[in-house]
Amino acid sequence: MTLKWVLHWQPNAGSTVNSQILSEVSQCVESINGVKEGRWRATLTFYKPHTREQSMAVDFPRDFLGISLPEQPNKYYFIIRGQRIVLEADSSIQTLMEKLQSYKTRVALHFDYQLGDFQLRVGKVVPTHSENLRGIVMEVEYLPISSVEKARQIMEEFLDIWQEAVSKRSLPGHFMHMEPNFAEYGLADHYTSQHTAVQYATVMAQLIATVQAVQSVRN
Amino acid sequence: MECVVQGIIETQHVEALEILLQGLCGVHKERLRIHEICLKSGPNLGVVASEVRLLCDLEQPESTWTVRHIGGAMRGAGAEQISVLVRTMVESKVSKNALRLFYALGYKLDHELLRVGFTFHFQRGAQITVTVSSVNKMLKLHATDEAVPVTPGIQLVEVTAPASAENYSEVVAAVSSFCEYLAPLLHLSKPGISTGVVPTAAAAAASLMSDGGGTPL
Repeated sequence: MTLKWVLHWQPNAGSTVNSQILSEVSQCVESINGVKEGRWRATLTFYKPHTREQSMAVDFPRDFLGISLPEQPNKYYFIIRGQRIVLEADSSIQTLMEKLQSYKTRVALHFDYQLGDFQLRVGKVVPTHSENLRGIVMEVEYLPISSVEKARQIMEEFLDIWQEAVSKRSLPGHFMHMEPNFAEYGLADHYTSQHTAVQYATVMAQLIATVQAVQSVRN
Repeated sequence: MECVVQGIIETQHVEALEILLQGLCGVHKERLRIHEICLKSGPNLGVVASEVRLLCDLEQPESTWTVRHIGGAMRGAGAEQISVLVRTMVESKVSKNALRLFYALGYKLDHELLRVGFTFHFQRGAQITVTVSSVNKMLKLHATDEAVPVTPGIQLVEVTAPASAENYSEVVAAVSSFCEYLAPLLHLSKPGISTGVVPTAAAAAASLMSDGGGTPL
């Protein structure tokens, strides 16, 4: 399985993400030989507990996520980040959850990929049925190595080059890579789609934290 | 969706049933050893209670897990007239963290079973699976090595076939027709409607054992 780092755009304090930043970042990829590919979509769905009374919801996980990845069209991934649980299932598990009616889906987000060569993909985070840009993510894929540890140095070197290219555009923010502790999720050094799912969940938590920080400054 | 019928047979006649099935299905049996963990939603989760089953296939060199939800049976006058149960069923293969995930979501262990026996998978008007197994309970939590039969001397026979809203009548017909071949040995009916063992079973079994399965039905 090809190794991937998922990065997210961290806006500077006081600024937010916007489509101009997205455009600049895309141009940056093109400038280092990025070639436009087709659209590509990963979807992240929040599952909220269905309880008779609202107050009862606190007893259940608040960070239960479902993720579909384009690299695995017949699979679906569940994550409970707080408890470091990741599960790979068939896509039919979504129907199964619907039948149980214990959890309801809320707010799907799409990570759309419009551009990239075989290593880079730049995507926007948007809610379903909306074009409101909530964030920017990037996938950096390195084909030759499947070991998380062995790939680390090469990925860090590439990231340095990338950060330098982006910084020349003086944008109000930067890309961040927050590597989850895969071992805590029971995942091994050999990279799999479950590792990708966990990275997306981590990115999501960071995006939420950023939005909440901006909101608390406003309030 | 799936079509289901069930019946029971005395353990002493299982070998004869195997010979009969071997002759009818034309395929080899597969051994079955499934740890079935039945979970129910905790008291405050969901407006109605829900159940989900985790099945761990212990026969594989590395255990594989499936999660299954069995839904309501088809209702109405039409449903009552047919002798096969038609119900919704959704299942998914899952990685081994499934039990941890469902516990974290608020599901609790209701009961667990170990099914040991064999299955035949074959095509006969529909994709049919016949499962013959002893149902065992564990004396200690998850202790599959220390399981004892729930009904000693009796085994459960299940005939299932996947179906859809478009084709379930054909599947029901295929299952019913197949069950008629098993009639000398056991009676199959909708789960929940118990019929007991069949009086002709002993004679039919003796006949099968002496023929060695050579007599076509």
